[in-house]
Amino acid sequence: MAIKFGGEFEVKKTPEEVYDFLTNPQKFAPLLPDFQGMTQQDSTHFTVKVDVGISYIKGTAEVKMQLAEADRPKRAQYKGQGSVAGGNVSLTAGFDLSPVDSGTKVAWQGEATVFGRLTSVAGGLLEPLGKKNVKKLIDGLQAALQ
Amino acid sequence: MGSEDHNKNWVGKPLPRKEENRLLRGRGKFADDIKLRDLLYLRFVRSPYAHAKMVSLDTSAAEALPGVVCALTGAEIALQTQPFIEIGPEPFAKIKDYPMAVSKVRYQGEPVAAVAAESAAIADDAAELVQVEYESLDPVVDAEQALEDKSLLHDEAGTNRVWNGVFEYGDVEKAFKDAAYVVNIDRLHFHRFSSTPLENNVVIAEWDPKDERIYYSCNNSFPSFAIQFLAAHLNVHIDRIRVETSDIGGSFGIKITSYPQMAVCALASKKAGGRPVKWVETRSEHMTSSAHGNERTFRDTQVALDKDGVITAIASRHIDDCGAYPRYEPLGCVIWSQVFPGVYRFKNARIDFIQAVTNKCPVGPNRGYSRMQHLWFLERVVDICAHELGIPSDEMRLRNYIRTEEFPYTTPNGCVYDSGNYPKMLDIAKRLIGWDEWKRKQIEARKQGRLMGIGIGTTLDSGTNNFGQSQIVNPGLPYSGNSQGANCKLDIYGEVVVAVGSCPQGQGHETTAAQVVADVLNIHPDLVTVRTGFDTERNVHTGFSGTYASQFAVSGLSAVHGAAQKLKTEMKQLGAFALRVKEDEIEFGMGAQGPELRAKNNGKCINYWGLANLVNANSAALPPELYDVTLNCRYIWRAPFKVPDKQKKYGNLTLTYASQLHIAVVEVDRETFIPRILDYVAVDDCGTVINPAIVEGQVYGATAHGIGAALMENCVYDAVGNMLTSTFSDYTPITAVNMPIVKYGHIETPSPHSYSGAKGMGEGGAAPIHTISAALQDALFDNGIVIEDSFNNADSLFRALVGKETSQAETLVKVERRV
Repeated sequence: MAIKFGGEFEVKKTPEEVYDFLTNPQKFAPLLPDFQGMTQQDSTHFTVKVDVGISYIKGTAEVKMQLAEADRPKRAQYKGQGSVAGGNVSLTAGFDLSPVDSGTKVAWQGEATVFGRLTSVAGGLLEPLGKKNVKKLIDGLQAALQ
Repeated sequence: MGSEDHNKNWVGKPLPRKEENRLLRGRGKFADDIKLRDLLYLRFVRSPYAHAKMVSLDTSAAEALPGVVCALTGAEIALQTQPFIEIGPEPFAKIKDYPMAVSKVRYQGEPVAAVAAESAAIADDAAELVQVEYESLDPVVDAEQALEDKSLLHDEAGTNRVWNGVFEYGDVEKAFKDAAYVVNIDRLHFHRFSSTPLENNVVIAEWDPKDERIYYSCNNSFPSFAIQFLAAHLNVHIDRIRVETSDIGGSFGIKITSYPQMAVCALASKKAGGRPVKWVETRSEHMTSSAHGNERTFRDTQVALDKDGVITAIASRHIDDCGAYPRYEPLGCVIWSQVFPGVYRFKNARIDFIQAVTNKCPVGPNRGYSRMQHLWFLERVVDICAHELGIPSDEMRLRNYIRTEEFPYTTPNGCVYDSGNYPKMLDIAKRLIGWDEWKRKQIEARKQGRLMGIGIGTTLDSGTNNFGQSQIVNPGLPYSGNSQGANCKLDIYGEVVVAVGSCPQGQGHETTAAQVVADVLNIHPDLVTVRTGFDTERNVHTGFSGTYASQFAVSGLSAVHGAAQKLKTEMKQLGAFALRVKEDEIEFGMGAQGPELRAKNNGKCINYWGLANLVNANSAALPPELYDVTLNCRYIWRAPFKVPDKQKKYGNLTLTYASQLHIAVVEVDRETFIPRILDYVAVDDCGTVINPAIVEGQVYGATAHGIGAALMENCVYDAVGNMLTSTFSDYTPITAVNMPIVKYGHIETPSPHSYSGAKGMGEGGAAPIHTISAALQDALFDNGIVIEDSFNNADSLFRALVGKETSQAETLVKVERRV
């Protein structure tokens, strides 16, 4: 089951400032909804723990993230893979930055593919839940970058 | 009691099942009821991915959990076992199939590790601690897509196309050249569904280090097949494997392929020092990873018809999806051809049959295995042609049915249909449902804009396989014919005890075997004790023993009958000696002291205890010429088959052909698109009926299974290979609440191929799937819809009718009219 998402927003920071924020796991990761903690392996690899709950299925997801593309100050892309009770998830999230008069336009796009029993047990809820959490993340990013 | 023939009528009576007494009171003995000292509980760790490399697997945390005795991985198993035997030739034969994934997973739910612990709860917790890292690969969930070989499941095979063969008979080209009409059907699709037995798979295995034997208690429904796979896999002599089955809560063929789990349990027991290991499958495990029925796509079908709508030839390409591992396959690539022309007379046909592996659950011989897909295809062809040519569906069938006077009928591929009377079945079914009245109601309904259809499904349940057909898919295989064993004995105290090699799962073998023996010995069936359930130690099994393929009434009961006859012969010899009369003066019957043998002329008698005593406990009184009398008679029945012609794919593949004819009246709601069955008839012909109550019960069961498959049950996978219907909430198996009232009728055309005239039955030929598809098409054809899929629910009908996404006749069907 693949959930695709994307959109864009503008912030008043420069592309370099936005890029530096987005590629710093210490700043970026805590904005993930239901963030529990993070361990950083090196400058491009880190593991985040987030609480996940869908109906009666509740647990902690451990997602290994990698900064797969880093082209300062134009583009950054994360790839991740993680597991939660009843399923696994593979995800990509990319940010394309371009300067605009008032600051930076952030065009973001991503895809989360969910594997496992979770898709059967909670399949109907996954997409709205995923989109809700992505919205939370983007709202958080916007707020942090203003 | 008088003459020997006095009571010879238990066969044919609706005797209540002997099994009911214990089963209905909750006193059945099922595999999970077995508790053993030092028992361990096994839990599998399963892949969430449909297709992925296993980057790492760490069981250390699980093994460290208190109560965990051992963990097993696929890599570990691969080091100490052989891959399972592959039935097919190359590229099949190159596939390395182990009971757990070694380095790559190929379907969601595939086991990657197993944990054995002191309790089921600990095993559950430990399984959660096993760490597996995967690297996702491109999944292939569509058989046609798999044939492109862009993403290979089994690199060693080099292709996803694992079997291909052309079945061609008659003069297809000439038939098409001479045709008055040619109907072209682009695509038809038979969906993937399974069975949902009340009892899931259960295995208890004990690898005893003292005698180096493996003891199984399980509910596998074809143990003689399983032990052949297990012995080669585990590197043990087959005689070192003991398998016992007891009561089984349904199988429908699906439990035939539980041998991989049997292997893991044995290996876990070995690793645990010989402690017995039990695995009880959960429902979700059963849905995702036991076995599903074969999915099949029919492409580029061409049908030649004469000016009267009589089909003269069919050409088509069939693509079978066998899931990730071809475990019972490629037998399905030939088994469909047991019913090559269905119930129809056409003589010319060419079917290009292809089988592909996909990243889905491996298939197993699900009820109606391989034949129902083909029979559905033929029924679709008949109905589509009928609608396109404007011929009523009943008339179309009458023009094309094999005629009654043609039986025994040899099909184009050499199968011999033993008996049948399809027009009579149609007549009875029409009468039972009130055909003319429904036709009148249909006209009225259509005037009101209602979508009501009446459909006919005629199908076959071929029973008692000739395993020589396996040589058609792989000429190197050492299988042919069919045989079953039974033992009938007079025990030390004169009890009549019968042992059979079958694994009944609700078919009433205990009762029908008793009926047969009771008739032979002229006693009441209650006096016959039947030991059902497979046990290698009883020594009544052959390489074909088990319960599958609609065969017990023929193969099993023929063996029972043969053993009873042998016993009777010995009893006569002994009775003649004891009563000092000639053998032909002995009659069998009931006396004051129970069942006895009596001299016709002088009234002397000896009861069964006395007779048994002479052989077992008073043998000094026995003269040497009777030393061969054991009163313990084993009989192996062998089916009169020949090895088929492998090149021509020609020969008799099955011994009996039961038939079913169903009619359904269905209405699709205009607002909700929910299809509702308004009336339903099932007419059955399984030759001479052994027990009418059991047959009727089987007909209802098969009808329920088919209606469920047609309207409710579908194994749905998403694009990445997640099975979306892995729980009952999503799979929605049919229940009594969903069942219509089924009007039941039957005829008997005795089979000349079985001693009793009976034909195997119980699978039902998936008649409801054909019938409901036909009825839905009848309801929707005027709206431009041709039913192209065997599964139809409100959602698919909405998409067809409103979304115009599927089933549009104008894109699916083209007709060339040459008259």
